[in-house]
Amino acid sequence: MLGSALIIGSLGLNLGIDFTGGSLTEVSYEIAPNKTELENLINTQNLGGISVRASVDEAGRDAYLIRTRDLSESERVELESTVTSLGEAGEISRFTSIGPVIGQELRDKALYAILGVVLIIVIYVAFAFRGIGTPVSSWTYGAITIFVLVHDVLVPTALMSILGYVAGIEVDVLFVMALLAVLGYSVNDTIVVFDRVRENLMANRVEKRTKREEAGVMYEDVNYTLTKPYDKIVGEAVRETLARSINTSLTTFIALLALYFLGGAVTQTFALILMAGVLAGTYSSLCIASPLVVTYAQWRAKKETN
Amino acid sequence: MTDSSQPQTPNSQGFIRAFRALIIVLAVAGLAFWVYQNAVQPEADKPFKLGLDLAGGSHLVYEADVSNIDAAEVPELMSVLRDVIERRVNVFGVSEPIVQVESSSFVTEEPIQRLVVELPGVSDVGEAVAEIGRTPLLEFKLYDEALAAQQETLQNLESLGESATGSRAEIGNVTIDGEAISQEPPFRDTGLTGRYLETAALEFAGGNSGQLSNEPLVSVRFTAEGAELFAEITRNNVNKQLGIFLDGELLSAPNINEPITGGTAIISGGFTAEEARALAQNLSFGALPVPIELQSTQTVGASLGAEVLGKGMQAGVYGLGLVLLFMLLWYRLPGLVAGAALLSYVTIMLALFQLIPVTLTAAGLAGFVLSLGMAVDANVLVFERMKEEYAKGISSREAASIGFTRAWSAIRDGNITSLLSAIILFWFGTSLVKGFALVFGIGVIMSMLTALVVTRTLLLTLPDTKKSAGTLLATLLGNGIQK
Repeated sequence: MLGSALIIGSLGLNLGIDFTGGSLTEVSYEIAPNKTELENLINTQNLGGISVRASVDEAGRDAYLIRTRDLSESERVELESTVTSLGEAGEISRFTSIGPVIGQELRDKALYAILGVVLIIVIYVAFAFRGIGTPVSSWTYGAITIFVLVHDVLVPTALMSILGYVAGIEVDVLFVMALLAVLGYSVNDTIVVFDRVRENLMANRVEKRTKREEAGVMYEDVNYTLTKPYDKIVGEAVRETLARSINTSLTTFIALLALYFLGGAVTQTFALILMAGVLAGTYSSLCIASPLVVTYAQWRAKKETN
Repeated sequence: MTDSSQPQTPNSQGFIRAFRALIIVLAVAGLAFWVYQNAVQPEADKPFKLGLDLAGGSHLVYEADVSNIDAAEVPELMSVLRDVIERRVNVFGVSEPIVQVESSSFVTEEPIQRLVVELPGVSDVGEAVAEIGRTPLLEFKLYDEALAAQQETLQNLESLGESATGSRAEIGNVTIDGEAISQEPPFRDTGLTGRYLETAALEFAGGNSGQLSNEPLVSVRFTAEGAELFAEITRNNVNKQLGIFLDGELLSAPNINEPITGGTAIISGGFTAEEARALAQNLSFGALPVPIELQSTQTVGASLGAEVLGKGMQAGVYGLGLVLLFMLLWYRLPGLVAGAALLSYVTIMLALFQLIPVTLTAAGLAGFVLSLGMAVDANVLVFERMKEEYAKGISSREAASIGFTRAWSAIRDGNITSLLSAIILFWFGTSLVKGFALVFGIGVIMSMLTALVVTRTLLLTLPDTKKSAGTLLATLLGNGIQK
């Protein structure tokens, strides 16, 4: 987790035009021209900083992705004639131009959406696991779910950061959607494990009710004592849900593999990011969430006895 | 008393179960046939709706300048704008142009009004931009004497400064009564714009009332509402000048001699016959109620879109096949049942895509393929619980029943959080994210539904046995690697 944060911190993210505004032109060729030659020619048009990246289009032709600032209509037309003048049978196969305002708005929205989803999840988990009481409160499960979610989002983001650094792949709206899908997947995984913890807790506790009178009002205190150590109960829950966790990850992973190898180039990064997220999600709900809740319970117990 | 009120024998229960299972299988098969027919027939009522990135085409986003408009009037003006642009893009004759108003959400302080234009099949974005750009902006404004006087004062001040120092002095923002003086022509808005236009026609002047004989003119007829407004403006401002602005440029500023109640106006401005004809034609499509500016464009070539679609479908088919195979190998007979549930899920989802209709994009397809892997989760949860009970020696049917009861809380909590996330996404998202959230949300509900209805019914229809029976059937009903 720390490693992921470090990677993101040092390499940064390669924000695409979806978020920064600008234009992206994909030009495909039968026979592609030399990259430097193309760059030099585009530079004569004075569009400011440009970046040209070699790529392959959906039909398997050699292509270049040209990123420039937000282009006006006349600039677009000029760029089209410039880039198709080189190479053989050049053709603009894709053009996207996004104003800076929309980019900014999209960035804000993506951030708000992720925060909103995380918030609603912690509230729901705390609500769904209310009454679990002993030895840690339902809010602890909520908080740990969040911690796990942060982990599961950091891992694919770090992968994206590396991809951006190594291959120049840019963060687009699809990436945000992949992250949100990872959030959904991961919280589901964690909830399944916690659900089993809850069930096992209920099955392995003795209820003790004591009545007391205070200023003429009767109070009833309910105390639960576990018949097994907490860490054992959690351990069993993890073991019992292991097969399910692995199988669901496998089916999801299989579907993603098909998407990665057979789906279009547009969604290849999406599939890759999700695969990393699914692995991280499965690992974290089994190997992070449960040990964490046990460690916290032990720490609490120690503090109370002191 | 009839026979049916008698206590049911185990046999008749079995019959009812089998009957229910048969109904479900037939219903899903029927739905699948309907989906297939809709997908392949060229004249189907409810074909799949493909997004621009799959069908190819242009996507344009315009920003409308509503800064001078009363906030309460904005929604109506935007819908007028949408209608005008819709008429305009219909010129292209593309199958289903989409023109929609989109308001930026509460994330930004002042909501920005946008117009999204989608033209499937039009890959020449330049032509589209030019065509939409031909929509004129027509405004009628009154001569503002106070503003004119202020502008004159300012000019005098400037020339004064010039003569005093011998060079041009910088007199920047001179303010009078605390408001900066506009350098625009001294006219103020009347609210009468092209939105009230009904028709426009080319005419030639008859040579009277000060017009050149045979000068090409454009006559416009207002709608009833516009005629009323026009009458009111002319009644209250007799002997003032009414400026006619086209695309922000002052064309002419005739004097209002008398109230005009007929609901027609003449636009002159030294046109050639050709210019006047073009203007009349452009105006007859409607005029812009507010100025618009192009903000973003996106084009995808049609062949490219088809390629993405084909690959996405291929990934879906193989993904589905592999997940089915995995479930069958791991869970054996129950795995076959899960496969039936997954096929029902796919069928229902595709039917909903056609019915709602959901616009399919590359991202939507990818999300759907992803959901194929996740949709079996409820089945997996149930089967794992069932396996535990079955291993204890309980009969298979009872084990299945307990499996559903025990797994329910996990299925419920997991799916509710997913559903809540989908709602938040739908609420915050831009159109692209909204589509994804919609598919995701429906997918969550449907995967839960198919697991609870299809899997449950079919699983309870399977013959009942115990693990200890040691028969082939008992092995088939067991699943996974048993201890």
